[in-house]
Amino acid sequence: MRFFGFHLMPYPYLPESHLSGGESSWVTLSNANFDPRRGHELYQRYLRELVYYDEMGFDGICVNEHHQTAYGLMPSPNVTAALLVPQTKGKIAVLGNAIPLRDHPMRVAEEIAMLDVISGGRIISGFVRGIGAEYHTFSMDPTGSRERFYEAHDLIIKSWTEPGPFEWYGKHYKLRNVNPWPRPLQQPHPPIWSPSQGSVETVDWSARRRYTYVQTYSEIDTVKRAFDGYREAAERHGYTARPDQLGWSIPIYVADTDEQARREAAVHLGFLFNALMRMPKDLFFPAGYLTLKSATRVLSAKRGLGSGANDPEELMDRGYALAGSPETVRQRLTEYQRELGFGTFSGIFQFGSLGHEEFLRSVTLFAEQVMPALRPLAEDDASASAAPSPSTH
Amino acid sequence: MSTVPAAHRGDHEESDVTVRGTRVRMLAAGSGTPLLYLHGSGDLGLWPPALTELAKTHRVYRPDHPGFSGSDDKDGIDSVHDLAFHYLDLLDELEVREVVLVGSSLGGWIAADLATIEPRRVSRLVLVAAAGVRAEDVPTPDIFVHSPVELAELLYHDDDLKAAAVDRARGMDGDPELFERYLRNQIATAHLGWNPYMHDPKLPHRLHRITAPTLILWGARDRLLPVGYAHRWAELLPKAETAIVDDAGHLPLIERPAAALDVLRTFLGRGTRP
Repeated sequence: MRFFGFHLMPYPYLPESHLSGGESSWVTLSNANFDPRRGHELYQRYLRELVYYDEMGFDGICVNEHHQTAYGLMPSPNVTAALLVPQTKGKIAVLGNAIPLRDHPMRVAEEIAMLDVISGGRIISGFVRGIGAEYHTFSMDPTGSRERFYEAHDLIIKSWTEPGPFEWYGKHYKLRNVNPWPRPLQQPHPPIWSPSQGSVETVDWSARRRYTYVQTYSEIDTVKRAFDGYREAAERHGYTARPDQLGWSIPIYVADTDEQARREAAVHLGFLFNALMRMPKDLFFPAGYLTLKSATRVLSAKRGLGSGANDPEELMDRGYALAGSPETVRQRLTEYQRELGFGTFSGIFQFGSLGHEEFLRSVTLFAEQVMPALRPLAEDDASASAAPSPSTH
Repeated sequence: MSTVPAAHRGDHEESDVTVRGTRVRMLAAGSGTPLLYLHGSGDLGLWPPALTELAKTHRVYRPDHPGFSGSDDKDGIDSVHDLAFHYLDLLDELEVREVVLVGSSLGGWIAADLATIEPRRVSRLVLVAAAGVRAEDVPTPDIFVHSPVELAELLYHDDDLKAAAVDRARGMDGDPELFERYLRNQIATAHLGWNPYMHDPKLPHRLHRITAPTLILWGARDRLLPVGYAHRWAELLPKAETAIVDDAGHLPLIERPAAALDVLRTFLGRGTRP
């Protein structure tokens, strides 16, 4: 099993009126609430925390992209990754670049190639569509999101794998000269990760491309369905999926005892799920962001992420988050690994309003008392995971 | 003609019309001068009773736009301008040379665009709370961030009508088919009007081409496109008449049909273009 440390870079200093109210924490939460001086301190601390994962022996660290929100302070994941390249030795997974939101996908192709060359081939390139709210952020038509995602992806991969210059005349991008300098160091291109909450289409697409599929913010039944779907899709596409192609990303907290871990985690999980993720459904899922079928299902559900009405205890019980003593976490992850068959674990150790000391203690306990025992799980795949993913476009 | 035989639905007929390969659902009634009614984005495929009144003197056609309600999707519809060409094709299909064009909200935008392309094909143009242009300094809500219930509240002025619309919106919870229709219409609208928000910056530069006598019809209490938008249209179409219906929101033909039809009948009854 390989281990990654994820960081959301949340902004916790929100006024009580916002925390106790029902307003969105995305798109319209005024940036007057962002204090740049406190922001400076947060960034210093958060970057140190990301480096700490690397020092503690994680295989890599994960950064991501979100916009106009207190949920996370990384509108540019490539800037975050660039800061971490000289401070780390392991992988850096950019999860990802929201490629349909960029006016020009070639900017992503160039920036990831730069990072890959500078880091000596340590970059994992995640591609995402961006969440629905971000189509309000940029006033970008959400009905073309999926199409733009696929076309931007195809263009970037081709620009990394075929010598330029060449022409690209797609529906959304029309270019006379595709010829990015530099090219990536990893061949044929950096590994691609595909984070999702389990959309059938994304699972199938990731399996077909042999990309590492990363499940985020889901209860166990959904994780299982997605991973089973991936393995079945892989068989349909003519190969057997390796465990490391399945990634599970989950908020996790380790403390000395179960009682302490659950008590302390509950506060910050509540903050993450009920304050930082809070937004109206019509903002979360703008028209056309989901297929008509998914939208009918998701929008008619009464609860769920974004509603601001999640019980932290229930979140932990249903597998949205994991908290416990080192022994409990070790047992639970072992059981989950056997049940779900994943070989890539991405722990979100920093979430909500968690303090620096608690973060360090949790990561230390995990690295010293959990990780070593779990390493041998899905061991057959450790060697395979080092090989670049085949390009199947 | 590829129109299939019509089924009668009380005061109107329902049929399918194929326009250059795309099946559209058509509601129609009456006989006389052809009148094409282009519906708004929130219209779930209904026949507004006001059209029955207009059908006493006109052949009234009320199609669902491609991608909306009972019509199929159509490739290549990425803008209201594309839809305007679709409606020129529909008129060809119906063998209608000259038409009275009435458009509500999104439909008004399509109507205005169509009238700039083939101005002489339009004998009368009626823009009811029409989208399509932008009025600086007139704030509007963003229809794409509001829930069905919130939109129902924004649509009407009259409290009883508002309450009934809110009930219908809530009722979609128990009616998956209707909810899906609502979502599909929202998706089609988003594709046309997400950015620039519900208007075409090019349209004002083309409106001078319109030759038909034009009526700008607006609800005084419109909260989706406040009456400042009627004034903006009037600036852009200096020869048009403007009629503001008291105590009506975004749908004056539905909310105050008697008052709105009075204005409309007078306008349609007058002589044709000079």
